[in-house]
Amino acid sequence: MASRDQHGIHPPFADADGKRRFGVIGKPLRKVDGIAKATGQAVYADDIQLPGMLHAKTLRSPHAHARIVRIDTSRAEALPGVHAVITGRSMPIPYGVIPWTPDENALAVDRVRFIGDEVAAVAAVDEDTANAALELIDVEYELLAVYLDPVEALENCTDAIHPNPKRPERGNLSKRVELDFGDVADGFERADVIVEDDYTFHGTTHTAIEPHCAVATYSPDKLLTLWSATQITHYVHRALARVLELPAHSIRVIQPCLGGAFGGKSDPFSLEFCVAKLAMITGRPVKMLWTREEVFYAHRGRHPMRLHYKTGATKDGKVTAVDAKILIDGGAYSSFGLVTTYYSGQLLTGPYDFPAYHYDSTRVFTNKPPCGPKRGHGSVQPRFAFEVQLDEVAEALAMDPIELRRANWQGEHTKTVNGQRITSNGFMQCLAEVERASRWKERRGKLPFGRGLGVAGSMYISGTNYPIYPNDMPQAGIQLKVDRSGLVMAFTGGNDIGQGSNTVVRTIVCEELGLEPDMVRVVAADTDLCPVDLGAYSSRVTFMVGNATIDAARKLRHQIAGAVAAEWEIDPGRIFMGSGQVFDLEDRAKCISSMEAFQIAEARCDTLGSTGAYNTPTLGGDYRGGTIGASPAYSFTAHAVEVQVDVETGRITVDNCWIAHDCGRALNPMLVAGQMEGSAYMGLAEAVLEHHDVNRFGLHAGPSLLDYRIPTSVDTPELHALIVESLDPEGPYGAKEAGEGPLHPSIPAISNAVFDAVGIRLRHLPFTPGKVLAALRERRAAETAVGSAKESV
Amino acid sequence: MGAPDAVAVAGCTDLMVVDTATGRRHGAVVDLQRLPELAGVRDDGGWIDIGAAVSFSQLRREALVAEHAPILVQAAATIGGWQIQNRATIGGNIANASPVGDSLPVLLALGAELVLASSSGERRVSYADFHRGYRETVLEPGGLIVRVRVPHALPDQFQGFKKVGTREAQAISKVVVALSARRVEVGGQEHLADVRLGAGAVAAMPIRLRRTEALLEGAPVGADTATRAAREARAEVNPIDDARSTARYRAHVLGRVVRRLVGDISA
Repeated sequence: MASRDQHGIHPPFADADGKRRFGVIGKPLRKVDGIAKATGQAVYADDIQLPGMLHAKTLRSPHAHARIVRIDTSRAEALPGVHAVITGRSMPIPYGVIPWTPDENALAVDRVRFIGDEVAAVAAVDEDTANAALELIDVEYELLAVYLDPVEALENCTDAIHPNPKRPERGNLSKRVELDFGDVADGFERADVIVEDDYTFHGTTHTAIEPHCAVATYSPDKLLTLWSATQITHYVHRALARVLELPAHSIRVIQPCLGGAFGGKSDPFSLEFCVAKLAMITGRPVKMLWTREEVFYAHRGRHPMRLHYKTGATKDGKVTAVDAKILIDGGAYSSFGLVTTYYSGQLLTGPYDFPAYHYDSTRVFTNKPPCGPKRGHGSVQPRFAFEVQLDEVAEALAMDPIELRRANWQGEHTKTVNGQRITSNGFMQCLAEVERASRWKERRGKLPFGRGLGVAGSMYISGTNYPIYPNDMPQAGIQLKVDRSGLVMAFTGGNDIGQGSNTVVRTIVCEELGLEPDMVRVVAADTDLCPVDLGAYSSRVTFMVGNATIDAARKLRHQIAGAVAAEWEIDPGRIFMGSGQVFDLEDRAKCISSMEAFQIAEARCDTLGSTGAYNTPTLGGDYRGGTIGASPAYSFTAHAVEVQVDVETGRITVDNCWIAHDCGRALNPMLVAGQMEGSAYMGLAEAVLEHHDVNRFGLHAGPSLLDYRIPTSVDTPELHALIVESLDPEGPYGAKEAGEGPLHPSIPAISNAVFDAVGIRLRHLPFTPGKVLAALRERRAAETAVGSAKESV
Repeated sequence: MGAPDAVAVAGCTDLMVVDTATGRRHGAVVDLQRLPELAGVRDDGGWIDIGAAVSFSQLRREALVAEHAPILVQAAATIGGWQIQNRATIGGNIANASPVGDSLPVLLALGAELVLASSSGERRVSYADFHRGYRETVLEPGGLIVRVRVPHALPDQFQGFKKVGTREAQAISKVVVALSARRVEVGGQEHLADVRLGAGAVAAMPIRLRRTEALLEGAPVGADTATRAAREARAEVNPIDDARSTARYRAHVLGRVVRRLVGDISA
């Protein structure tokens, strides 16, 4: 399959002097939609207004766990202005983004599982009427036992949240994965030092600035069109066909401009099914825009985890074995939970060499908003625990934390203990960069009390070869159309969610065909117009869509260069395409515009166009789940952070964060730096401010941006993006991911910096002022005890 | 304002959020923002006289306020963000009577008084007597806050303000404290007089820390006094646990903030 070909790390052309130089790759080109977004002209889902459009709202459960005895919608239906009311019975077929765990319904059929779960939906002439109608829907509930604590949910299950008549013994168990690699017992036997501790990662959510929104129309010829703020058009398309019982070819899904997602728009959501169904019932366009409060209920944010780690190391700092036991609080539904449970163990085996590794991860259902994938899916939590533990190992061995990490580096072109293939690996350079930039050697351990430096490292996938539903088709497809005007249109199923994937596509087409940026336009994420791409998740887009784009563009280039060479009666090797021109390398007088070249090619070869695709090579360990977390390339990151701890208020202020990230090659360094800064910002927020939680009744503790705190501009530290380029042999021009990896180290690096600043170990997130003060008190008490013991001696 | 369930509004920065979240409805909503009687800041013989509908942005720009009540300018700058400060008014902050209103401890510390109006006429009340309990005030139904009056600063008057929020901006206070005191020299040593200490987020309403004030009154300026005041302040409040903080943390931080503010007098 051509799509499996690798394209190499070089630009497509050699210059006249034989040197290879990039035209646009590596340049900080503006985003394709930058000006439209800055001027307010970009069209988001909520900007779509259609003639006769109705507005829909959702009735949500006021109970954390209950059986629905009866729903009476007659009073709501009778309200003037109401066009349709639907309940779970209107769409009873369950779905789930992971095909093995279809445990969600568009609207609850017979059971609600958290406060905020969707029960009914109303389409009316306006939102106020729809809201008024919701109050007229009568629902009778029978209350069930509520599980808010994962241990309680597992051990004392009387009313299973997802009853499984065939296997009632599963209770509230969602997924368990236990895997063993190497000889763990021997590893601990060989260790000179063993550190063992508990760590807590709290819940956090995405807080994309755009709330979820969907608009649907149903035409008289039975075409359903859905515009949705989704980051995975293809999975929404599949889920709609299943739940609405429509042939997939009569459904069109379009993603308009998206105002951020971070994993929070990866699942198919209730509102997408509801507007579709309501449009089919009423024959009118229907829109639903969730309020900020509703977005908090929809959640799919980072799973809270209780983590226990044990690490053994030799005197020279080499890790001998790692053992982990992880309890994952999944919330009310499976979502991506199967993958989360694997990721919590699978993605830890780099950038350090583990000779032996065992993990045991258990995901549990609870009556809380469902957790799912958030930037750094499933691996940010274990990374936090492990990188703090590594710091404790360094402390026990009186070793510099950076040196300890160097001592354990796994190297390039190697295999991890759990069978993952590692290709390029720039982690050592990342460590060197943050060591230099933070002036680590001069300052770490030497700053005045209250100020400190901390370090942490990580790795992350550039996409995965696990395609959610098993199939042998390409993971990324693209189509190029060449116009006589000189324009090239690129049609990609890739979802640009603000990360700039359309800009990457345009840049690659320009590079390969020697065009200026304004000669290429991108149409993306429209299932009628674009070939399938699996969407914006797992940091797969640059790697996979990028490779597919090179594939398609090189096919076109051969065609065009061949046609022009034939026209000029020269060898095609002499044709050079660049800056919107095509010329003969040996006779610069022979020079035409790209447009003229396209016309020559069209005359000789007929209408011009090409397709390109990418699929991962066969990867992963030979065991059940071995392909989950197997990626064609891994990115690597190191952070150093500088903090101040106010011992009076207990507040941690992060002053500087140095982010060194190996992204293979920065196709657009401005976009890469943006992803690095945004990631570190998000990690910082999770460390010191955010907390997604419910109260003792299961009600969300603060579903607003006032009470759910993310940092404002004045809370944000100086972020220093240090790009490291390791040039991956299989990435497009050597590129790997940059969107999620750079988040991981920021949280443990802050904990480690606090240790340097005031000598306390923060193992339980979030690092609130109260926890800091309590830890300082404990430390003081311990010191006083030691002091008085010494005195009494 | 005669309509049943009528509510008077100015910037609406709190009311609209609460109404939207709770579905609360009013018989009538009366906008006060353009009333000339509630506008402007003027000098009135020993007092600065601030219209109840003056926004926090305007307060931040007023030279008179900066001269006589610098901590009111400081407090105005910590409320919400710029957009909130453009709409929110000082009268609204008072009438809303939230225990965490950021300008309220400042008005307590400055010894402000309010001009209240109703169909039965105008009256003046000391701001220290205005709050009665959780979101409960002496304002009669249908009554309005018309003006907020703050005495001119004295040459020997110290003013201090500190807010501990959950983040640097757009945050609700965990603890907010304002201090005003005169420095009087007695026998070559500076002593405190006319001490007023206002605190927010530590009780059901903004309060003066009377016991701490009594301790500070006549006390010598210095670190020792600051430490004793911190202890007294922690002991005299009884804050609550909520989504933003815990009682224990609030009492602890109140003490630290009082110590820092009293300590700043000698700085």
